[in-house]
Amino acid sequence: MEVNRRDFLKVVGTAGASLMIAVYLEPGSRLAAAAQADAVSEDTFQPNLYIKIDKDSKVTITAFRSEMGQGIRTAIAMIVADELNADWDSVIIEQASADPDYGDQVTGGSASISSYYGSLRIAGATGREMLKSAAAAQWEVDAAECSTDSGFVIHPDGQQKLPYGDLVESASEVDAPEMWTVPLKPESEFSLIGSDMDHWDAPDIVTGKAVYASDIHLPNMLYATLARCPVFGGSVASYDDSKTLQVNGVHSVHEIDGAVAVVAENTWAAIKGRQALVISWNEGDGVNLSSQGIRASLAERVPEMGSAEDGRIDAVYEFPYQAHVTMEPMNCVADVREDSCEVWAPTQNAQQVKSVVQRATRISADKITVHVPLMGGGFGRRLQTDYAFEAAALSKAVGAPLKVFWSRADDIQRDFYHPMSYQYASGDPAAVKRPNVRAQDGENIIPSGAWRSVFNHTEAFSRESFIDELAFAAGIDPVEYRLEIFSGRGGAVIELAAEKAGWSETLPENWGRGMAYFATFNVTHVAMVAEVEVNASGEVRVQRVVCAVDCGTAVNPDNIAAQMEGGIAFGLTAALKAGVTLENGRINESNFHDCPILQIDEMPVVEVHIIESDDNPSGIGEMGVPPIAPALSNAIFDATGIRVRHLPIKPEDLF
Amino acid sequence: MTEFTLSVNQQQYTVDVDDDTPLLWVLRDTLHLTGTKYSCGMGLCGSCTVLIDGQAQRSCITPVANASGVEITTIEGLSDNGEHPVQQAWQDEYVTQCGYCQPGQIMNAVALLDNIPNPSDEDIDAAMKDVLCRCGTYQRIRKAIHSAAEGV
Repeated sequence: MEVNRRDFLKVVGTAGASLMIAVYLEPGSRLAAAAQADAVSEDTFQPNLYIKIDKDSKVTITAFRSEMGQGIRTAIAMIVADELNADWDSVIIEQASADPDYGDQVTGGSASISSYYGSLRIAGATGREMLKSAAAAQWEVDAAECSTDSGFVIHPDGQQKLPYGDLVESASEVDAPEMWTVPLKPESEFSLIGSDMDHWDAPDIVTGKAVYASDIHLPNMLYATLARCPVFGGSVASYDDSKTLQVNGVHSVHEIDGAVAVVAENTWAAIKGRQALVISWNEGDGVNLSSQGIRASLAERVPEMGSAEDGRIDAVYEFPYQAHVTMEPMNCVADVREDSCEVWAPTQNAQQVKSVVQRATRISADKITVHVPLMGGGFGRRLQTDYAFEAAALSKAVGAPLKVFWSRADDIQRDFYHPMSYQYASGDPAAVKRPNVRAQDGENIIPSGAWRSVFNHTEAFSRESFIDELAFAAGIDPVEYRLEIFSGRGGAVIELAAEKAGWSETLPENWGRGMAYFATFNVTHVAMVAEVEVNASGEVRVQRVVCAVDCGTAVNPDNIAAQMEGGIAFGLTAALKAGVTLENGRINESNFHDCPILQIDEMPVVEVHIIESDDNPSGIGEMGVPPIAPALSNAIFDATGIRVRHLPIKPEDLF
Repeated sequence: MTEFTLSVNQQQYTVDVDDDTPLLWVLRDTLHLTGTKYSCGMGLCGSCTVLIDGQAQRSCITPVANASGVEITTIEGLSDNGEHPVQQAWQDEYVTQCGYCQPGQIMNAVALLDNIPNPSDEDIDAAMKDVLCRCGTYQRIRKAIHSAAEGV
């Protein structure tokens, strides 16, 4: 962790924050308040990279990881503010731009809090100790005898107190203590960590003031949409833009990166200009790829079901390609000037955006500023930086600020997909141990990437479905069977979920109950019990899901519940509705009508129970996804006696 | 290009745009009212919902020519500082995650409560099922609509 004041000031100096504010912040929004705090940075106490306190006691905390709905901005601020003993109502959250001074800013693997919990606590505690020293010097008392509470240092007499804002100048003169000597609060004294907290951005979100990259307007900004080859790996053979250039508002047409870009004065003109393009594509070899063909080649690479010997049983599980389908499609704003560049990127990987922009513009990295606005979902898609390259290259080409926007079809058809997969599981029912699962994913030119929970989603479905198959073959209750295999934290969440769900209680006719347990990335333990109703037409209604979670210290328990609800909705979409298919090298699906996501009338009642723990927090953003599909499938088996070994599960599979 | 007079959040605007421009892009690109979001462009997801004469309408498939002579309300016009009971309920129930669909969810909920002041779960399903949320905030949206109904 960097706790170096000089480095921090350097970051502030290069961030160009006041300019950013001038162009896009909504007056009266919480983001605008953050900008104002930044503008008076010479009058602030800045003990380290993460904290600024100004003279009216506003505490600005820097979020250095990307917010996509997982609650990271709020969690970072809660941890720092708790150790700082700040008044939560005085806390402002400022988003860091891309800068290696923050260390690794890649927001993935549900690892932001688990990696930085200790560092953030030290950062807050360092500020608190320096404020105590400053007050103690003024009162001529021992700093160790002083205490802090909600933005005040309290005198040893318990009566006098000084607000943090009054100590800004004197605390700035105090030498920062060595980070390993800074005392941390005992867990019993936490005032914010462990409390239910709404997302800090919620007031801006519900009033429409929250700013996503797609909301950014710069003076004289142009808008671009790109026609990309519908076949993966293809390129432009030739194009005729004569009709496009006649469309009112179209500025210019450019060929970049194997695509044709229409640049216009507004979004609608760009859309109409793109519709008027006539393009001939070199489709390339990708045209021979199809889901059916990939499926056949995968099937050849796993043993056939029924080939296991010596009392073992086996099964093959199958998964389609999945798209991310963030509600906010990919987009990016770039303002490339002669020798500097500013970018607003919805990214989980801000420093990678900077590299990509450097490649597109040949501008040196220290002259490139990458702002990270809120994101309308991420789920791993925004670890990729393709859209940032497009924006930077086009802004450079036209010599004006420019917004690249993707349509929904672009977004679904140019994704980095969760790969198609075949998995073979085998085991001896009598042995009662964790079964072997071997995965084969498609190896071809179809882009693949991290998709909320990555491989854990497929591995959990195969393993946890197969454990149920083993338990059934052995004639043992699936919860008891799991408790023979998994002990410790895994056993504890299995027991808790079963108990809270009423595992042995009778269900109505046509209902079934299923359990699954998985430790995603081997760190956060989640067990789920799903209750489903399956009607005579094979339609599945998930009625209730009970979750038990052990994620170490629960920083924001309500957000843990929210992430479980979200993971369940995401996992149920994959299990019951979605998946994309490939034909002649093209993705067939293009919008929500053929790539549907879960709707409110399909959402089960979700109950979340969190194991109490003082362990390091272990991450929560992705952990709700893996257990839900197998819990659902096991419940369907309980209701119908039908074992489905592929996703998505369709009504025709169930009668 | 044609001049249209629009009444948005009780303010009059004159815009000079193509006749077939969807209202969504007039709101976002011309008037810079960016609380109304693009997500599908085909009236399939509800993120772009605004109120037109009090009814929930998808602005991404409403040509600007059809939006003249009516009263348009966007998320920015619902209240000055989030005091509307539905906006309050959204915060009381900690609904938001990424937040991108929530302006559309809120506008649909406002229209629902205007038509049915105390909706049942079935009423909520019927009115809200085409308003999509990839973060899965549905359970909280349901609670927030019930709690806003009690508060109204």
